[in-house]
Amino acid sequence: MYKLFELLEKYLIPVMTKLSEQRHLQAIRDGIISTIPLIIVGSFFMIIAFPPVPALAALVKPYAAEILLPFRMTMGLMALYACHSIGYHLAKSYRLDGVAGGLLAMAAFLLTSVPVNTGEQGLALLMSNLGGGGMFVAILMALFAVEVLRFAKERKLTIRMPEGVPDSVARSFEALIPAALILPLVWLVRDVAGFDIQHFVMSLFQPLVLAGNSLVGILVPIVLITLLWATGIHGDSVVGTVARPIWLVLLDQNIAAAASGQPIPNIGPEPFFQWFVWIGGSGATIGLVLLMLVSRSPYLRSVGKATLLPGICNINEPVIFGVPVMLNPLLFVPFLVGPVVVGTLTYFAMSLELVTKPYILVPWTLPGPIGAYLATGGDWRASVLVIINIIIVTGIYFPFFRAYEQKLMKEAETTREDLT
Amino acid sequence: MKVLIVCSGGMSSAIVVKAIEKEAARQDIKITVKAVGTGEVEDELKNGWGLLLVAPQVRHRLDELKAKAGTCEIPVALIPPQGYTPFGGAMVLDEILKHMV
Repeated sequence: MYKLFELLEKYLIPVMTKLSEQRHLQAIRDGIISTIPLIIVGSFFMIIAFPPVPALAALVKPYAAEILLPFRMTMGLMALYACHSIGYHLAKSYRLDGVAGGLLAMAAFLLTSVPVNTGEQGLALLMSNLGGGGMFVAILMALFAVEVLRFAKERKLTIRMPEGVPDSVARSFEALIPAALILPLVWLVRDVAGFDIQHFVMSLFQPLVLAGNSLVGILVPIVLITLLWATGIHGDSVVGTVARPIWLVLLDQNIAAAASGQPIPNIGPEPFFQWFVWIGGSGATIGLVLLMLVSRSPYLRSVGKATLLPGICNINEPVIFGVPVMLNPLLFVPFLVGPVVVGTLTYFAMSLELVTKPYILVPWTLPGPIGAYLATGGDWRASVLVIINIIIVTGIYFPFFRAYEQKLMKEAETTREDLT
Repeated sequence: MKVLIVCSGGMSSAIVVKAIEKEAARQDIKITVKAVGTGEVEDELKNGWGLLLVAPQVRHRLDELKAKAGTCEIPVALIPPQGYTPFGGAMVLDEILKHMV
């Protein structure tokens, strides 16, 4: 078993480290994370527009379209926000002007859309290209725009202001030549050559989105995240760097379906993992915390007491480093197997439509059953499933926990004997 | 002494901040500790910190964090995993004091 940890340290972690330190991926991750508050608050309007209580639902139904507007202007334009903030973060990482990076990124992205003429009302941009559907285009255009900005800066293709001009003014001119390169380039490709960048990129990434929604696509992140956490590395943040754009696209398709009264298509957006798998934190450690509360080992009992509240809020670093779970060959088995089992169970419960598929992003520090209830737009069966999952993982942890407990107590006894 | 702790989201390190503050109060040591996520750390580093502590679960980004702290000439230390718990206050405080010269 120690051999396995050695192998992980040697092969998995360096690869994952490279991945999470890669400049562009980091900008994508930080850029997307910046948009999460808008998505969380915006998607709450979904719950208000379609409350889980039938009497209330009937009451607000006539106003649903108006109530949904904050949702449409946040979640519905997700790619636009993400594009700006990815451009900002990438520019900052090159020590370039962040605002210029964000604006150039947005301009490049918007140019991939062609407005529709609505006659009397003038031109209109289709929102469908600016939401989750345009996510990958937004990412690519942001990277492209900032790389042009960097290229121009490196080749000194900037307009230099005479001395005495305030810094902020001088900086704003730095983006002039990059803009003069980016806009015509995108325009030539999209509008003159007529190459539909949106459509091309979307079909390019479609297999990834499909894969992210399959059982394998759900188990791969679960296994990778637990393997990383087993060596004490923040698995979610590393894996999320690559997976989060896909999770957001899946979420966007779900929420769009829910808003228009269609059946919800996808099982695998991030709330699936958050509420049904990572109960109490990655590795579904809530089961372990519950067992520790009634442990015969005074040490484990005190860890249990100290980690219960954070655990209810899905914070489990104290469990991982305190028990510890990290590099612990006994607890590694349930730490990996538990999430795989409940993840698979939840996958089938959702594909058999026993439980609503998640479509709302709620803050991750809520207690599991409540978070699951809200994430599924108020399905009580989701809360029941979370409780069943907690019972299952507790059962999976139990024999390994007992063995670890006995080992600890034996060690405590021998140190006591040594002392006397 | 002003100490900045960085973890992934600034959430779990808040627990460790409490543990350090408690231990420092017990030992009657004056200390300011703040927790941030990796997303905010670069900006926060400019606010005059004496030490940057890195949570064990983001140690794969140690080199990058060292580079960021280096531009502000702030020393960096890694929190040992056993210290990153509600009981780790004394251990982390010892680590901090090592850098207090």
